[in-house]
Amino acid sequence: MSSITFLCSKSNGNNNHSDVQRGKPASAFTSASASVAVAAAAASGLLTIAVQPQQQSKVKAAAAVAKTNGHIDDRSDVTEPLYVDPYADLGNGNIGGGDILFCCPASPTTVPTKTALESPMRRAGRRQRTTSIGNQTTTANPSECIIRANNRTIYTAGRPPWYNCAGQQVEPFVIGICGGSASGKTTVAEKIIESLDVPWVTLLSMDCFYKILNEKQHEQALINEYNFDHPDAFDIELLIDVLTKLKEGRKVEVPVYNFVTHGRETHTKTMYGANVIIFEGILTFHSPEVLRLLDMKIFVDTDPDIRLARRLKRDISQRGRDLRGVLKQYLNMVKPSYANYIAPTMAHADIIVPRGGENKVAIHLIVQHVHTQLQLRGFKLRETLANSYKDQPMPHSLHLLDPTPQIKGLHTFIRCRNTSRDEFIFYSKRLIRLVIEYALSLFPFKMTTVETPQGVLYEGKRMASRKICGVSILRAGETMEQAVCDVCKDIRIGKILIQTNLKTGEPELYYLRLPKDIKDYKVILMDATVATGAAAMMAIRVLLDHDVPEDNIILASLLMAEIGVHSIAYAFPKVKIVTSALDPEINSKFYVIPGIGNFGDRYFGTEPSDDY
Amino acid sequence: MCTGSPSSNDSQSEEANATTEQQQQPEQEATEQPIRTPTHAIVAAAKAEEILAEYGSNLKLLECNSQVSELLTIIRDKNTTRSDFKFYADRLIRLVIEESLNQLPYTDCDVETPTGAIYEGLKYRSGNCGVSIIRSGEAMEQGLRDCCRSIRIGKILVESDANTHEARVVYARFPDDIGSRQVLLMYPIMSTGNTVLQAVNVLREHGVPEKCIILSNLFCTPVAARTVVNAFPQLKILTSELHPVAPNHFGQKYFGTD
Repeated sequence: MSSITFLCSKSNGNNNHSDVQRGKPASAFTSASASVAVAAAAASGLLTIAVQPQQQSKVKAAAAVAKTNGHIDDRSDVTEPLYVDPYADLGNGNIGGGDILFCCPASPTTVPTKTALESPMRRAGRRQRTTSIGNQTTTANPSECIIRANNRTIYTAGRPPWYNCAGQQVEPFVIGICGGSASGKTTVAEKIIESLDVPWVTLLSMDCFYKILNEKQHEQALINEYNFDHPDAFDIELLIDVLTKLKEGRKVEVPVYNFVTHGRETHTKTMYGANVIIFEGILTFHSPEVLRLLDMKIFVDTDPDIRLARRLKRDISQRGRDLRGVLKQYLNMVKPSYANYIAPTMAHADIIVPRGGENKVAIHLIVQHVHTQLQLRGFKLRETLANSYKDQPMPHSLHLLDPTPQIKGLHTFIRCRNTSRDEFIFYSKRLIRLVIEYALSLFPFKMTTVETPQGVLYEGKRMASRKICGVSILRAGETMEQAVCDVCKDIRIGKILIQTNLKTGEPELYYLRLPKDIKDYKVILMDATVATGAAAMMAIRVLLDHDVPEDNIILASLLMAEIGVHSIAYAFPKVKIVTSALDPEINSKFYVIPGIGNFGDRYFGTEPSDDY
Repeated sequence: MCTGSPSSNDSQSEEANATTEQQQQPEQEATEQPIRTPTHAIVAAAKAEEILAEYGSNLKLLECNSQVSELLTIIRDKNTTRSDFKFYADRLIRLVIEESLNQLPYTDCDVETPTGAIYEGLKYRSGNCGVSIIRSGEAMEQGLRDCCRSIRIGKILVESDANTHEARVVYARFPDDIGSRQVLLMYPIMSTGNTVLQAVNVLREHGVPEKCIILSNLFCTPVAARTVVNAFPQLKILTSELHPVAPNHFGQKYFGTD
């Protein structure tokens, strides 16, 4: 068992050590429950990875148990936020469960990262990475944006566009991995992720979809008489639903299966946004509907003796079971099921990988194929956007603020290259306030009658729904948050980090954190400037993927280029676009002309020394 | 945005006159049943065309979008809590101040943007100042400060005699060179207009030309508008609503002295 260590490069070794030490005292008090935790963790299939020296794994599991038993507090102020225990929320502790926000891991892996995102140091790490992108170092050196696990690497570069210039989804590539129990499916998946070097990979395990057992079945399971290897043990309908949604690029809630209670945990795991989905399980190829969803089918074929040996080792040493029970289960259920349900599905496979994860040639071939497929689907979004829609009338969804002398005067201040930052911030804040006030007036209102202290009734208007939230596109959009908070009391603010990949010029999604029930909200999406509209389109796409209706979105911005407005209006005609000024052109670097320059840099004072 | 048929306009103005009369006799009004006043939107529609004809081009209304209507509604609602009242009043004040600043004179000004291109902008002349009428006018000072950080602000205290209802100035303090400045006179509620008349008189005594004064106002009654426009035809007035009933509780609720 290994835990996933989240950190932005290099220093992982040290952190793990400190972690192990902290775990040790706790390990004393529950070795029994430690093994339970291991079993639960391992079996739930979140991320069960390579076998490590047992001693360490036990200690770690104990640490996990310690946490879920209320030892959370002393950890939270420890300045070691880099270690994220993926099992922490398997137990009853449910860390962060009360949090109104959830997060989709920017990292594509399915590691639950609730705790991680609370920690300041981790945020700092991310922030640094963002900055370094601005300084053109990161993209030159891809290893900078890697999250390292103990013995594996997850790539978390930003996510390039996953939709075409009409805003429509392009399907992610789904790889199905099937194979007998302990055949090394997960290892193969790991190896593929490692060598794929593609951002935004989601690993989905079939183990999440075990059915909830009733009392009788639960008892059977305890004496190894419940057949977990039979197709009926899985909730295929739910599986199809989740997989279909993932393939459509929508946000899904994946159940978390608890192997102790044989039920589903109350919390679910949120998965969103993948360019490649890897789906693994023993009966992956059993259902024809699931088969249809798979773009590539891999069967891992490992010698039955080896599989039994692995299973014995794993169940006895890690799950605390006895030899007799394991053998009984293997002979009565696992082996017949393999012969009856699993082995025959080998016929559906595109590739059969003997010897599992050690088969480097096979992995290499698979990775090559996936790359080719991804290239066929990819496209250069920004350039397409920049070159279309010339000389067309402005769309109806555009709402331009009245160009009053004040607004023009404010623009004069913030556009002038010699304006000091103090003045720049002051005047842009004033302008932002006006933009936000105007944006609010576009939401639906209803007539209402109120009683006045003067004793007469007054017929006025109130906003139809008080459920409004702001979503800012980092970094420049963040500057508009204050204004939204100033006009709407207690408003919830979501954030989306999109950065331009300087190598490709394409926007990439790095991070997002939105209010949990955002689909019920009216959303003010904020970005200071919109040039090609590529980042704004990505943000809108994210919101749509989270089931926000298109006409509930208002995109508010200080300055837009005409092309950007056209692109957004074409792709998302119902999204209202609000801006205080419209500029005619953008230059080859995708800056608006005459424009403001880089708004975020000027506002936050991070301009590069050499100018444009 | 605002629509209204000509026929409805006539009935509106009659109703408006009726309520105005009642408003001038507050004791009676309190005992009467609440009267359903015309909706804000329809009032505004009637006024938008009438204003030019009736009050001249120097009286301007804040563009009445739904958001502004909501702010007016919340401020007028007697069930609004004080904290909400202040919050939404401040928002409305900010909008009115921003709009008032639009009335200030400016000159064209081209600037170079960081991308090297030229932006044809404009520049406001310096030499403006604010004057607030104590006490409710002071509620608008912060809004002005938020827009113009270092602007000079003068003050006028106008008291009305309890018996004769005659307004008279008891205190005034201005920047020395106020005569050469554009003056933003701030007073949120006008029900008769007498206070403002006195305040403008004091400003004129200090050498401020009538045309250099901009009155920023939130709630104005038609009576007050008529009085002020008749007395000072060159004065620019900016308000957010012309409505026969003025929310006279504004100052008390804003400062919490009710």
